[in-house]
Amino acid sequence: MSLVQTENLTKVYGKGDTAVTALDHVNLTVNPGEFVAVMGPSGCGKSTLLHLIGGLDRATEGRVLLGGHDLSRLDDVKLTELRRRQIGFVFQFYNLIPVLDAVENVALPLVLDGVKQNTARAKATAWLQKMGLGDRLANRPDHLSGGQQQRVAIARALVAEPALVLADEPTGNLDTRAGDEIASLLRQIADDWGRAILMVTHDPRIAAYADRIIFLKDGRVVDETRLSGNGTDETKRVMAKMEAI
Amino acid sequence: MNVQFTLAIRYLSGRKLRTVLTTLAIVFGVLVIFGMNTMLPAFMRAFQSNVLAAAGQVDATITLKTSDAFDANVAGNVAAVTGVRAVSGFLNRTINVPPGYFDGDSATAGTVTALSLVGINVAQATILHAYPIKEGRFLESGDSAAAVISKSLAEAIGVRLGETFTLPAAGGETVLTVVGILPARALPGNEEVLVTLPQAQTMLAMPGKINTIEANYDTLDKTRRAEIERAILGTLGDTYQVGSLASNSELLANMYIAQAIFSLLGVLALLMGGFIIFNTFRTVVAERRRDIGMLRALGANRTTITGLILSEGLVQGLVGTATGLVSGYLLGAGLISLLSPIMMQFLNAKLGSPVISLSLVIGSIVMGVGVTILAGLLPAMSASRVTPLDALRPPVGTISFKRLAGLGFWSGAAMIALAVVALITRNVGLIGLGGVLFILGLILMAPALVNPIANLFAALAAAIFARGGTAQLAEGNLSRQPTRAAITASTTLIGMAILVMAASMMSSIQIGFGRVMRKSLGSDYLLIPPSVSVWGTNVGASPKLAEELRAVNGVAAVSTLRFAPTQINGVAVSLLGIDPASYSQVSGLTFSAGTEATAYAALGEGRNIIFNPVLAASAGVKAGDEITLIAPTGQQAYRVVAIAGDFINAKIATGYISHANIEADFNRSEDVFLQINLAPQADTQATESALKGVLKAYPQFRLIAGQEYMEEALRLFNAAFAGMIVLVIFLAVPSLIAMVNTLAIGVIERTREIGMLRAVGATRRQVRTIIVTEAIILAAIGTAFGVLSGLYLGYMGVETIRAAGFPMEYVFPAAGVLLAVVAGILFGVLAAVIPARQAARLVIVQALRYE
Ligand SMILES: Nc1ncnc2c1ncn2[C@@H]1O[C@H](COP(=O)(O)OP(=O)(O)O)[C@@H](O)[C@H]1O
Ligand SMILES: [Mg+2]
Repeated sequence: MSLVQTENLTKVYGKGDTAVTALDHVNLTVNPGEFVAVMGPSGCGKSTLLHLIGGLDRATEGRVLLGGHDLSRLDDVKLTELRRRQIGFVFQFYNLIPVLDAVENVALPLVLDGVKQNTARAKATAWLQKMGLGDRLANRPDHLSGGQQQRVAIARALVAEPALVLADEPTGNLDTRAGDEIASLLRQIADDWGRAILMVTHDPRIAAYADRIIFLKDGRVVDETRLSGNGTDETKRVMAKMEAI
Repeated sequence: MNVQFTLAIRYLSGRKLRTVLTTLAIVFGVLVIFGMNTMLPAFMRAFQSNVLAAAGQVDATITLKTSDAFDANVAGNVAAVTGVRAVSGFLNRTINVPPGYFDGDSATAGTVTALSLVGINVAQATILHAYPIKEGRFLESGDSAAAVISKSLAEAIGVRLGETFTLPAAGGETVLTVVGILPARALPGNEEVLVTLPQAQTMLAMPGKINTIEANYDTLDKTRRAEIERAILGTLGDTYQVGSLASNSELLANMYIAQAIFSLLGVLALLMGGFIIFNTFRTVVAERRRDIGMLRALGANRTTITGLILSEGLVQGLVGTATGLVSGYLLGAGLISLLSPIMMQFLNAKLGSPVISLSLVIGSIVMGVGVTILAGLLPAMSASRVTPLDALRPPVGTISFKRLAGLGFWSGAAMIALAVVALITRNVGLIGLGGVLFILGLILMAPALVNPIANLFAALAAAIFARGGTAQLAEGNLSRQPTRAAITASTTLIGMAILVMAASMMSSIQIGFGRVMRKSLGSDYLLIPPSVSVWGTNVGASPKLAEELRAVNGVAAVSTLRFAPTQINGVAVSLLGIDPASYSQVSGLTFSAGTEATAYAALGEGRNIIFNPVLAASAGVKAGDEITLIAPTGQQAYRVVAIAGDFINAKIATGYISHANIEADFNRSEDVFLQINLAPQADTQATESALKGVLKAYPQFRLIAGQEYMEEALRLFNAAFAGMIVLVIFLAVPSLIAMVNTLAIGVIERTREIGMLRAVGATRRQVRTIIVTEAIILAAIGTAFGVLSGLYLGYMGVETIRAAGFPMEYVFPAAGVLLAVVAGILFGVLAAVIPARQAARLVIVQALRYE
């Protein structure tokens, strides 16, 4: 059974003349442990798709099934709980809480879920070490580089052991090298820890790390391709597809 | 520690400047509430004592029914009764002196035949009474053979400061040195010679005795006062009697009003404190939208978010309250000790120490922490409504061009309309309520008015600075968030309103009150009967006195008042006869309907009457009406030709008719009050002694220079209101500082935007100008509205005092308004200086990453 399944997922912003259809009957699936990239030009609805799947916003039409649960049937409390336990988020601007240090930021989802401080900190520390930040545990976000901050954000996304990680342009704010590091980290997360990852990007080099790429245009799925794992060749292929769109 | 508290404390310590500023808001709130209330009782007491003392009265006078002397310790028993605030024991005796005792001429009857020797316990008496020393000093506890007397007595017996005089005493004659001189006695009764209690006990051979205890109560509540009186009698036994201030006396009524004004100030303090705190929290939430959204995305539920903001409120509330309590006390105590010597010097009245009751401390803590949490509640709830998506949207400022004339605007307009109606009713209670409505209304209307006003000021600023675009940018920042701008401006509004209100009241008291008084009592001399304004008890003089006075060389005009009691529509009215021809030369009425020229002339022709405002209101009569007077000669029909009043009778229902009519209809030709004007070239000294010569035959009158009498009355009046003015300023200053605070927070909040401006090429100088312009526009809006509300409040205050019976005119406080405008702009610039420098120094990249 697939982990994520969308059925005719549609999102319309606004009403009447000014209505914008950000998503138009999108059907897609993500399987457990699968690394899927979403690509498309700016404004095609990538972020909207992620928000709906993550339960941050509600669909106009259609539905999202997460592990078989229909998100549209959950109230705010249940949805909040689901986010806390089933989904990890990674964003372009890291969105760390500036007043908390690295461990505390990572521990936050657990603490919010009522896990004991010590347990939460221990798990957070473990994840940070896995992300190669064992020597940056007590640093606040403003003392970390962009790449480091994004790794803290990834640790935070993983600490509650979610089945799904949603990443919106996780490398959008990073230089090429840091971007590559983050992308291979995500690859490792899917391979070693079996998390499903849905990542939005418009950088073909980054998208090439995924198992599968879904192409969006004007809110519709226009293409889909499965990658073989051969970096440079795949990048070229993806670039060609993007050009076509 | 739970996650909310961890976050709360991290946020607080992470942004130190911000935390200090917001905590400061709470400190100010608590400081105003606590400091104000520690001072209130002290000022209320001083006010009470001043008003009572000015009328020569105390709440209660305790004597033996037999009038005998009793042990001085009894005073302590009275003091121990709960509800008794202060007591003082006196030993006084009337001393009759033989004719010619002082002037050594037994042939003519001296002007002084009897006086009261009053032994006072200096420490206690100065708490109950004001002794406004004019020359020398007041008695001190260690004094012996020292006396303080009034100026009128000193003149009557021919002694000056430092000189001695003798009095008959039990152990032979006693020589007393005059150490201090009080103003001329304007009260009924014998002239008094004040000496220390031991001195009087020696002179009267009554060691350890007193015969009168005076006491003031700590309440104005009628039933409480009756209870206290019963408790005193219960303690002392039924051989004693208590003479109390009549519960319906005018004096008490005045004090009720004063108390209501004080309480209103207390409530204002509370509202202001809460408002400052509320304001601060709104800003905190606005600034942290993204963080909050992120927390929500991570799975924090709404309760957690509300809890987070409230935890922060709690921590700040506790710290702020503690600091506020300490600084409030220090400020209150400091102000009192600063004012004490002034009060002591001018009135010889003690101000008392700041009063801290346990209930006030607990109350302030509950208020401080409670108001903080309450003020944080709305913002906390709005924080809990932040959606996770708020964290993820690109951080452009939210633009709200809301419909301007919304519900708030119209309900604000309705409130202001009601306030104006309240003012027209002239009902004190309604006017007070109107004041609160007026400010609330303005605050509600403010957001809608921010745009047009900001536009106007921006155009002005652009014209002045001509720095291409910066003024427009500042204006844009304000118009974009009119509600926030309005809230910031309303802090200034309240400060300015209070300032202008104080200025209105001060100038009306000093100028308006003085003007009415000068018109009425501005003659060179007054002949004062034993009881001013309670005319019925006076023994007057035949018209011969006036004739004799007119004959004195140097006298230009003499005007007299005659008196008869009457009834109009069942209302007791005091009827005064004036000479229409001479009255206006020497004295004068202040007209509210009708004109001077026609009204005086009309009095001379037929049965015409002038009503004073109190009478016109109580009888429901307007100029032109016909009314009927009950006279010994039967009912007489009179026509009301004008509404006008004089100073002394302002609080009493009074009608003025001509001498001829009061003689014809009421058979009265006695003069009860006389006023004298001198010719311009008159030799004042010679004329005054000639007048005194004439008056030897009329010992019931005392000759007082008009100027002196007025100065005295004005000084007592000013002293009574001094405390109130201080309290008002106490309110205004923190609110001005709060404005600096709010503006500073506003700049911190927009760090990111400022970074953007710099990124797109604004120079440091431009950034600085934008922020300063913005602050000035805000300050200008706040000041404009503040001055407006202050004018209303000031008018309301003056009306209230007037309704209480003090004759005064409203005087537009031009200087006060000017001061407020200057202060407003100055505070605006001041508020912007530090943030503007900070903003200009921002490192662009950091500013953009700020989050
Ligand atoms: N809150 C919103 N209100 C109105 N329109 C929106 C909102 N969010 C996104 N849109 C519109 O929906 C479309 C898709 O946006 P988005 O999902 O952010 O695109 P992408 O992430 O692919 O750049 C765009 O046209 C955008 O303008
Ligand atoms: Mg996007």
